[in-house]
Amino acid sequence: MNDKTKRIIRNSISLANIIAVVWLLGTGMGYLIFGKKDKISTEENRTLAKFPHFTLSSYLSGEYTEALAHYFDDNVPKRREYKDLIAKKFIPLKGIEYGSDNITIYGSAPEKPEEKQESATEAPTEEVTEAPENTVEEAEATEAPQPEPEPQEVNNDDGELTNNIVVANNRGIMLYGGGWGRELEYADYVSEYKRQLGDGVKVWSMVIPTACSFYMPDKFKELSADEKTDLDTIRDALVDVGSIDAYSALAEHKDEHIYSRTDHHWQQIGAYYAGREFAKAAGVPYPELDTYERVILSGYVGTLYGYTQSASLIDNPEDFVYYKPTTEMTVTRYNTSFGDPSVQPLLNDPINMASSSYYLVFGGDEAITHVETDCKNARTLVIFKDSYGNALMPLLTSSFENIYLCDIRYFDLNAIKFIKDVGATDVLFTMCTFSAMGDNHYCIYNNMYK
Amino acid sequence: MVFSRLFFIYFFLPLCLLAYSLARGIDRKNTVLIIFSLVFYAWGEPVYVLLMILSAAVNYAAALVIHHSRGNGRDRSAVAAAVIFDLLMLGVFKYSGFIAENINLLLHTSLNVPHIRLPIGISFYTFQTISYVIDVYWEKVDAQFSFKKFLLYVCLFPQLIAGPIVRYSDIEAEINERSADLSDISYGLNRFVLGLAKKVLIANQLSIVADNLLGGSGISLMGAWLGAAVYGLQIYFDFSGYSDMAIGMGRVFGFHFNENFRHPFVCKDITEFWQRWHISLSTFFRDYLLYIPIFGKRRKYGGLFLVWLCTGIWHGASWNYIIWGLYYGLFVFMEMQIGKKRMKSISTPIRHIYSKLVIIIGFGIFYFEDLGKLGRFFKALIGLGGSGVISASDKLTFFNNVWLIIAAVALTFPIISTVKKYTEKNEIAVYVTSGVTVFLSAALLVLTSIMLVDATTNPFLYFRF
Repeated sequence: MNDKTKRIIRNSISLANIIAVVWLLGTGMGYLIFGKKDKISTEENRTLAKFPHFTLSSYLSGEYTEALAHYFDDNVPKRREYKDLIAKKFIPLKGIEYGSDNITIYGSAPEKPEEKQESATEAPTEEVTEAPENTVEEAEATEAPQPEPEPQEVNNDDGELTNNIVVANNRGIMLYGGGWGRELEYADYVSEYKRQLGDGVKVWSMVIPTACSFYMPDKFKELSADEKTDLDTIRDALVDVGSIDAYSALAEHKDEHIYSRTDHHWQQIGAYYAGREFAKAAGVPYPELDTYERVILSGYVGTLYGYTQSASLIDNPEDFVYYKPTTEMTVTRYNTSFGDPSVQPLLNDPINMASSSYYLVFGGDEAITHVETDCKNARTLVIFKDSYGNALMPLLTSSFENIYLCDIRYFDLNAIKFIKDVGATDVLFTMCTFSAMGDNHYCIYNNMYK
Repeated sequence: MVFSRLFFIYFFLPLCLLAYSLARGIDRKNTVLIIFSLVFYAWGEPVYVLLMILSAAVNYAAALVIHHSRGNGRDRSAVAAAVIFDLLMLGVFKYSGFIAENINLLLHTSLNVPHIRLPIGISFYTFQTISYVIDVYWEKVDAQFSFKKFLLYVCLFPQLIAGPIVRYSDIEAEINERSADLSDISYGLNRFVLGLAKKVLIANQLSIVADNLLGGSGISLMGAWLGAAVYGLQIYFDFSGYSDMAIGMGRVFGFHFNENFRHPFVCKDITEFWQRWHISLSTFFRDYLLYIPIFGKRRKYGGLFLVWLCTGIWHGASWNYIIWGLYYGLFVFMEMQIGKKRMKSISTPIRHIYSKLVIIIGFGIFYFEDLGKLGRFFKALIGLGGSGVISASDKLTFFNNVWLIIAAVALTFPIISTVKKYTEKNEIAVYVTSGVTVFLSAALLVLTSIMLVDATTNPFLYFRF
């Protein structure tokens, strides 16, 4: 082979290489521009990035250009298929599932909040017990200057979810990090509501354990703190507040589908068993399960897949089962300031949903919902909850005449005044352990002083 | 804008390549590169792009003053003024908050701690301008009379935000005249894709593993060692991946940047490690800092520790980086005391074990900016981290990522250059490997692009440089 031939062959290979890469770049550009884009990511429960609107200030701050690049990064045509491909084919190549439970960890074991541990039992207790010496009305009537309570900083917008998740036996389980003193804060805050509301209003607390209490493989229980211990601490620390033992109610039924395998929420059947304990304690009627219309949405893959991209979860979807009350009621949704009312159905109709989802069925959190039922027992319940409460509320519509469902994280009013204004006879604090012992619990405190 | 995102790969880069290939003549090609470089920088820093242009203008003017006033004393003033300007700029934008915080801590004062957002890449382009004015002063290079050409040197986007630190002398000729033939362009594109794959397929995945192992509150003995080792691998594939992308894109445009990483983990001692790791940075300090005449006869050691102090703090305004730099300085100093000959007389396996242990602990120091956590890491290294020998979480993390870790370790060895070495003697083997490279390059580009669809983990480590 002479030099000229060698040069021609080498140049031909180089040219082929250039054409291959440049063709991919050009095709990729066309694909990103002209390919059909989804608008929402159902498995991540979010709207995909929208094309940004140009303003000079957004350009100068760098937001516009970042948003523009993010728009193309986030709106890849067939995004879901690519993500599934990554989850099913690429990610499993990284290593092996461990042990007989085929366990995979996403994130590390939860971190112990060391600084909080030392200060938690001091500061909030002082703040709660010092701040409201009198009732709200008394404080307004006497003009004596009261120390302005400091709002607690809330860092985590979605404190129900953590990045510490294991997938074992095709089930996603968030790892509970422990209260580290926050369980006492929670109990103090809720007890303070009772103190301010007085004898006329019954205050209840029902903190809900999560799947890690019931489904962690024995060998890896050490990855998670013990929810039961913290729940017992809360029960013992509550003052004049009724404590509902959701843990035992759920433990009895752990062989049933009480928690989603692919989502961080419970299934509504779990909420039913917990709600029955509450109804028993509150002395209100609670219908049997067969009085509800049972709806099954199959092929459900929830939030934990969005967080882990686990092939075990996407390959093993589950049924999302919920129960529709058959009684008459009027449901009015307000904004978080209790304005802008609109009459809406209690539950969303699956026919109108792109796919099944806890939030799509039970509604989002950023609202105050009022339900007026045909249970004329003159009992009015205000529920302060995280998203776990969304599944519980429909099951109480035969138990109270009026129900106000408020999310602790999205509430713009003074909670004490609101409870009094709506004439509540009962107040229920219900949320999962991650909210009660996470940053979300500061919202309970802050809502007293808005 | 960063290289490892779809917008860069499929919009910015193809448009730049298209415009560059359509431009005729070196002047127009330079214009295209400057425009794209400024757009690239302004994409993330619409205001700070002016700071970069100001920096270029000041150093350009200083070099002209040096050139026109050689020997009359003004050249020395000009170089000093330019270097002081550059260092002040770096000091204000990068270190003012850190300095104020520490003064407040030490002297119990209450100075306002400025919270200035760090302009991306400032540490890289500042060092480039410093090297330029000093080289002009030392008459190693001629001053550049065209501001446009000088601006191209400063803002050239392939190496602007993540290095390597390119010396003016390295690309002086290519700014004025350069060409890229088919093999250059082919090599450059392949090198870019290789760097992208290192970053996306390996470094990004390892970052999750390292955070799992080191990020919790309790670190086990195995977690500390494995976590620091994995973090070292992550940093290597991230940094060297970016360098590969820079070198590759440079080659496509006809520039020949020097290698920045030469398989550092095959080193047998720490001195060798630093001859292979972030070469453009260590040679910068060697050439511009080690020989400044402020240490007199003791400059050998005084200069050495100054170099390592600066190397540490260059990586970030935090005490752990200072400790990290001095830590390496200590081992280099120790190896100097032992001497090259005696070092070589130590058996190779022992030297490998020694160097890897030092390097792994070094990456642990690099990881923990919080000194309290760094202290706990040190305890964990000897099993006093409070989580025993190995925690269940560490065990899971290891097994869930075992193939990734093994692959990453294997890829730190000079596989490509070894294959090349064995095939280059046989023409047919060269064609076969080149053909396979075409396929591999395309496949890697597709694979990395798919992985970037799921870009929830795409850390950009250079925000602090």
